[in-house]
Amino acid sequence: MAACTTYFEASCVWPARVAERNRKLFERQQTRRRGARTPEFHFSKHFDNSRLIKAPDPVRARQMRLFSAAITVLFSLVMIYGLQHFSAIEGGYQVEAEKQMRDKLREENRQLRLSEAQLTQPSRIDAMARQLGLSEPMPGQVVHPNARPDGSVPAIAQATPPAFPAQ
Amino acid sequence: MQAALRSNRTRNYAARTVPLKQVRFFLICLLFSAWAAAIAGRLFWLQVVHHAEFAERAQKQQQRTIEVPSRRGVLFDRNLRELAMTVQVDSVYAIPPDIDDKPAVAHQLFALVHTDPEDTQTSEDQIAARLGSGHNSIRVARGVSAGIAGRVTALGLKGIYIQKEFERFYPDNEIAAQVLGYVGADDNGLGGLEQRYEQQLHGVPGHISKAMDARRHVMGSSESDPVAGQNLELTIDENIQFLAERALDHAMQRTQAENGTVVVQDVHTGQILALAIRPTFNPNNSRHTTPELLRNHAVSDVYEPGSAFKLVTYSAALEQHVAAPDDPIDCQHGKITLAGRVIHDDQSDHYGVISVHKALEVSSDVAAVKLALRVGQSHFYDYVRDFGFGSRTGVELPGETRGLLRPVNKWGASSIGSIAMGQEVAVTPLQLVSMVSTIANGGTYLPPHVLMPGQFAPSQPGGLKAMPFKLGEDLPNPLPTGAHRVISTLTAAEMRKMMEGVVLFGTGNQAQLNGYSSGGKTGTAQKIDPMTHTYSKTMHIASFVGIAPVNNPVIAVAVILDTPKGEYYGTTVSAPVFAEVAQRVLEYLGVPHDIDVHAPVAGSRANVRQAEDDASDRAGDMDALYSAANDLPTDDPLRAVPAQPASQPAMTAPPSQAKAQPAWTQPPPQAPAATQSGSQAARGQTSSPPGPQVVLPSGKQLRVPSLIGLPLRKVIEQAAGAGFEVVISGSGTAREQMPSAGTMAEPGTRIAVRCGR
Repeated sequence: MAACTTYFEASCVWPARVAERNRKLFERQQTRRRGARTPEFHFSKHFDNSRLIKAPDPVRARQMRLFSAAITVLFSLVMIYGLQHFSAIEGGYQVEAEKQMRDKLREENRQLRLSEAQLTQPSRIDAMARQLGLSEPMPGQVVHPNARPDGSVPAIAQATPPAFPAQ
Repeated sequence: MQAALRSNRTRNYAARTVPLKQVRFFLICLLFSAWAAAIAGRLFWLQVVHHAEFAERAQKQQQRTIEVPSRRGVLFDRNLRELAMTVQVDSVYAIPPDIDDKPAVAHQLFALVHTDPEDTQTSEDQIAARLGSGHNSIRVARGVSAGIAGRVTALGLKGIYIQKEFERFYPDNEIAAQVLGYVGADDNGLGGLEQRYEQQLHGVPGHISKAMDARRHVMGSSESDPVAGQNLELTIDENIQFLAERALDHAMQRTQAENGTVVVQDVHTGQILALAIRPTFNPNNSRHTTPELLRNHAVSDVYEPGSAFKLVTYSAALEQHVAAPDDPIDCQHGKITLAGRVIHDDQSDHYGVISVHKALEVSSDVAAVKLALRVGQSHFYDYVRDFGFGSRTGVELPGETRGLLRPVNKWGASSIGSIAMGQEVAVTPLQLVSMVSTIANGGTYLPPHVLMPGQFAPSQPGGLKAMPFKLGEDLPNPLPTGAHRVISTLTAAEMRKMMEGVVLFGTGNQAQLNGYSSGGKTGTAQKIDPMTHTYSKTMHIASFVGIAPVNNPVIAVAVILDTPKGEYYGTTVSAPVFAEVAQRVLEYLGVPHDIDVHAPVAGSRANVRQAEDDASDRAGDMDALYSAANDLPTDDPLRAVPAQPASQPAMTAPPSQAKAQPAWTQPPPQAPAATQSGSQAARGQTSSPPGPQVVLPSGKQLRVPSLIGLPLRKVIEQAAGAGFEVVISGSGTAREQMPSAGTMAEPGTRIAVRCGR
């Protein structure tokens, strides 16, 4: 009865048992391959490179400098191009925004001009003036200083002093 | 034997193999060639012969084009005040398939957009009906305010959105409505200048073209920006137009006429300053417009001018030297027989031998007939034509008629007599005012215009410039196209004096102005009854054409009132309208007075003689007018109304539709009369105005320098340096000056300086 295990218990134990068996087989193989244990020795070796001298190579150096300069210029150009490219894109957005603002302001201006035209229409002003008790000037009551004088008659400049209200 | 057979077999085989290969080769080549030719032919058929068709079909399938509307041009008056302009408005649109609860949405929208109780399009039922119509997109309301648009957006309704649209506005409402016209829902001009210059005003719409694949995915797009329409500047002056329309409203209310026309023209340029027509309409609310209200009576309708046409007769007689203003002429006691037809003067006029100018003052038909006979048919016809009658003036308004004038070879025996007194001829108000302007400017006919010249020239620089009216005596140099001399300067001057006599002593005495001389001629014409083809006893057309001031005319005015009730003579009906218009316009334009200004007396015109200027015999050949109408070109507007007689202007809306205006009253209560000032030297200021003066500042003003204490030489130098002239009295150093230092005055103003030691 003790040897009786459930299916679940068997499935849990089985991989562990296989792994244990494999480990033992591996140890046995290692032992068989080595035979008797052999001691291992480690030796240290020193190298002296102080006598080595790097020979100067001006051609190589010039090539490297040229290469570095070219890379720098190329990098700068790429960066400048990228900078102006993205600046142009950003500027384009700004221009578009300004254009929209301009169109909006123009439209507002048109609306205001329409309102002004509606508010200053002569019939409206005439009706409001009459409501306020105003009347049209009598003939000759309005003097235009820039009116064309009659050349056949001598004229002299005149000024009518304003009539101040009585104190 | 076997060898022979073998050799024979071999020969036969060799002889048969080679031709078979060639045949096969050529057959295959032929087959492939035919195949290639068929393919090439089909390709040629598809790609060359039917290229356009398939390209169009491909474009329809692959491209989707959206039109971007262009902004319509602005109509300005001569002072660059907007008469018609287009602005963007918010419109509420809906996509019905995206809306779930349509009745609820309709109710919500109705509560916001239904601001005008008379607007049935925004009623709840209408909105609900449109939402349920099944269309993909509908417009719920047009031209809502920004606040309403914001509230609609704030509702967050699915399928409801706000879109900007162009809308045409006429800020002055009815002002010059027939001249401007109006636009329809699709922004196309449907009358007046809006229709005449539709192409220029409309502009070029932009397009957004999208290329799409079979799954309607956008592969690419191209755009073209819309080009706004051209702005136009009219010769109309908004204020003069208002003055003319107000005077016409007064006259319409007083006379209950069926329609009325007032035209004001600048005599030195031919430009129309005002063109008023009643009844009228509001182009902002074009839904209530009828074709009759749109009709421009000034150019599309004709009428028999009656006695006003005698100006042509007298001008021709003076120019042909067959009469002089002071020559005597026998009016034969108001009766003359011409080709068996007896022509009578007014029943109350029985003049004998009188002077020619007196004959014009009393509007004698007999004198006019006799003068025309002296001129002769051919010459008289030439003068009539030269004054612009019988041909289109070329004004920039649609639907202009040339009027009715038969050539001499179609005249009857008495036609010359009829035409001499304004019968058997039908003219437009614009032709009539141009005739008077010809006399006013010294005898040169100038075609009328309502658009400023040179606006369509390719060399026209930049924007428009305000062209306010300027006083001047010179005609344009060079003369515009169509201008020509009709009568001499001397004849024109004589005619002006005779026209002044008509106003001072004759039938036009109600056209007298205060402070200005005026001249003109009345006219009263009976209308033709379309039912009987006879002159009506009850329907008249009262007219007056005049100029002011007489010595140096500035404006010419024509007033035509159709079928006034009660009084129907031009002298009592139309002449007062001329007086009201001319007085106000001359004052507005700042024209110097040429006669004394007198204090107006209320009712002063009630005592004048009610002259009947044109009650002559009406047995003329009126069928001639009908035959003349049949000779009109097919595009003449008079042919568009064959049911009505040519000489009868089309009936318009009843007078009740005329714009209600306050009753015309006499001039405002007069101010205390000022004493006459004899010191006023300028002729335009010969008398003091009746009340305190209002000095209007001019455009450029300079500050008057202080000259007090300066020696005479310095006074002159300093004044000249400042741009002034000086009038010096006395000698020594300056003691007083007028105007005083610091006063703002126009350059060139004379400063009076009194000097003393």
